Amino acid sequence: MAEIGKVRIRIPSNIKRGDVVRVRSLVIHPMEIVQRRDGKPVDKNYLFIHKVMVEYNGREILQADTTQSISENPFFSFTFKPTEPGMLRITFLDTHGGKYEGTAEIKFT
Amino acid sequence: MQEWVEGIKVSRRGVLRALGLLGVSAAAAPFLAGEPGVASGQGNLGSLQPEEKVDATLKRLFGGRPIKDGSNMIKMDLPLIAENGAVVPITVEVQSPMTPTNYVKSIYIISDRNRRPMNARFSLTPEMGAAAIGANLRLNETGDVRAIAELNDGTLLMAKREVKVTVGGCGG
Amino acid sequence: MLRPGTVFGGGIVFAALLSAACAQTDKASTAGLPPAPWISRAIPEGKGEVKTQPDGKKMQVRYKRAPFAGVPQDWSDYRTYAYDDTRPAPPVSKAPMTQVKGDPARGRRLFLSRAQGPCTGCHLIPGADVWPAGNIGPDLSTYGDRNLPDEFIFTQLYDSRNFFPNTTMPPWGTTGVFKPEELVHIVAFLKTLKGPVPPEKDPDRNPDTRAKPVGFGDNLDPTNNPAVLLAEGAMAVWSKKGPAGKACADCHAGGPEKSMKEAATRYPKYVKAYQRVMSIEDFLTVHAPETTGLQMLSQSADNLNMTMLVKMQSNGMPLKVDVTSPEAKGAYERGRASFFKRVGQRNHACADCHTKGAGRGSDKFLGGRLLADVEVGLTKHFPLWRTSQGQVWDMRKRMQWCMTPLGMNMLPADAVEYAELELYLTAFDNGKEMSVPGIRH
Repeated sequence: MAEIGKVRIRIPSNIKRGDVVRVRSLVIHPMEIVQRRDGKPVDKNYLFIHKVMVEYNGREILQADTTQSISENPFFSFTFKPTEPGMLRITFLDTHGGKYEGTAEIKFT
Repeated sequence: MQEWVEGIKVSRRGVLRALGLLGVSAAAAPFLAGEPGVASGQGNLGSLQPEEKVDATLKRLFGGRPIKDGSNMIKMDLPLIAENGAVVPITVEVQSPMTPTNYVKSIYIISDRNRRPMNARFSLTPEMGAAAIGANLRLNETGDVRAIAELNDGTLLMAKREVKVTVGGCGG
Repeated sequence: MLRPGTVFGGGIVFAALLSAACAQTDKASTAGLPPAPWISRAIPEGKGEVKTQPDGKKMQVRYKRAPFAGVPQDWSDYRTYAYDDTRPAPPVSKAPMTQVKGDPARGRRLFLSRAQGPCTGCHLIPGADVWPAGNIGPDLSTYGDRNLPDEFIFTQLYDSRNFFPNTTMPPWGTTGVFKPEELVHIVAFLKTLKGPVPPEKDPDRNPDTRAKPVGFGDNLDPTNNPAVLLAEGAMAVWSKKGPAGKACADCHAGGPEKSMKEAATRYPKYVKAYQRVMSIEDFLTVHAPETTGLQMLSQSADNLNMTMLVKMQSNGMPLKVDVTSPEAKGAYERGRASFFKRVGQRNHACADCHTKGAGRGSDKFLGGRLLADVEVGLTKHFPLWRTSQGQVWDMRKRMQWCMTPLGMNMLPADAVEYAELELYLTAFDNGKEMSVPGIRH
């Protein structure tokens, strides 16, 4: 896929200090599934995202170990409670050493 | 109704091609079954979750630890009938104050009828403010989807729901 | 006569239209048809070519991915929408009931067989293993109570048109989907279906009480619909200079947002320069190379993504395709005729699934799939992201697929027949707001 690694993040437009913020994210990725031949799994270097790391102002707030049982073009949502304004960073790692990132700036209204 | 805005757009790093085998660094290795399998040649089949029945998965992940019924604490939102097994959206929310002394440490999503039942494991921190996560799952066939929450004191809670997966039809 | 890759010669068409039309207008018009066969500008797998293999058998070239990859049969023997395909529908026929002892257990397996029916696509029968049955045809759970004669049931299965001339039910025996002996087993099975039916434990098992699909959420949310990201990626192609030294951007000032605003609301339309009806996808196949030199073959990623990008600029605006000019009117009528034309081995028309009424499919389940009503408007969200395929499909791919598993070779993606059928369908969306790209199963 030409667009592998393209990340999009959505956050609410109005965030007040102390809000629990709902974040949505999507990354373009094939999440290759295990092939089978004659009823047995084929040994291949499967390409899929195996780790998601969410940091806020450099602190890790959420991590996910993911598998091929997550849909292609993985979608993730989560909440967090920012106590100060700053930068949200979501990083995706795949099994071929790929590293994809998206960031979102959090400002308080 | 909340308004949503786009976050700051893509800052996409170039793909760093791994050289042959996996395990270049701990960060690059996929979530291991427990005992890292031997990757034969260029494949990473050996490092995946093993193919097993869900009872074996639960035993492997939680040993003999008691798993309590958490259906009054865990809210699972997913379709009762999935149009296909490729994309089944789920959100899981566990009631918890999410304070440093009382929070949900992990949420496991497990699909009983998948060959490798564990879909994902989320590791949470109190900074999340709520124990709420969502993802799109691949389901092999009709069966139960479980959400197992592990609290910081080691308590395990579980909720589960059956999802019927629609098959066939001229739509493909 | 089928000529894959091209469409038809104008002269043959007139006669073909008169014979193809079902309940039709007084005279079929050729207004709006190109004077010469259209040469397809689709990617190789999308041209519908039929090749003869070394063993002498014919095989249609189709897309390599699922679901097309799962249909290995060639359907050259069965008629298509092609305007020069003047073959009649398979004639109604009968056969004597084969003298074998009917085996109900085997009959039940055949009834559920996905390779042939499955009959449960339209008919509910008892059994917890029946998932998911449809309700386009009657519930057969107590069919045995009707005590109908064996020969009647056999003929009903062999070719239901013997009793119901305009039935949706395929002529299973006439076109050889089932062997006569197999039908005998199904007859034996149906006779065992006697009441009382046990109370339904699961309301979803019965299509009459089943929950409707909830869909896949906000189609315009880029964190929900990957197609939105792919469409935005077409911006790079918009600005890219082709071999002719020009980019789309050079002639269309202000970017897609300004220059393409409202443009998509008028497509498909008759394009004078090419003397045929064209969708945006069709138009790009000729317009891109003739201006910039860039290729934009039908069903290529560039074509689909650019189509989405252009159509998105009309989101929220009502469609207003022309159906009044002589060319548009001619095309609309031919498209309508296609919609009602019975095609393929299973002798189905689009109308069988997508109109309302007894034995028709709108708002009913075909297996587990809820069928849409054409009058609701089926085009305003195309192209769309298909979650089951992990791909963008436009209306043409949808048309190419619909009948492929039902026993009809597909036409080229940019075929005039498809464009005119699309015009007919889009007319139902006139006045309704566009929302592209959609997201569906």
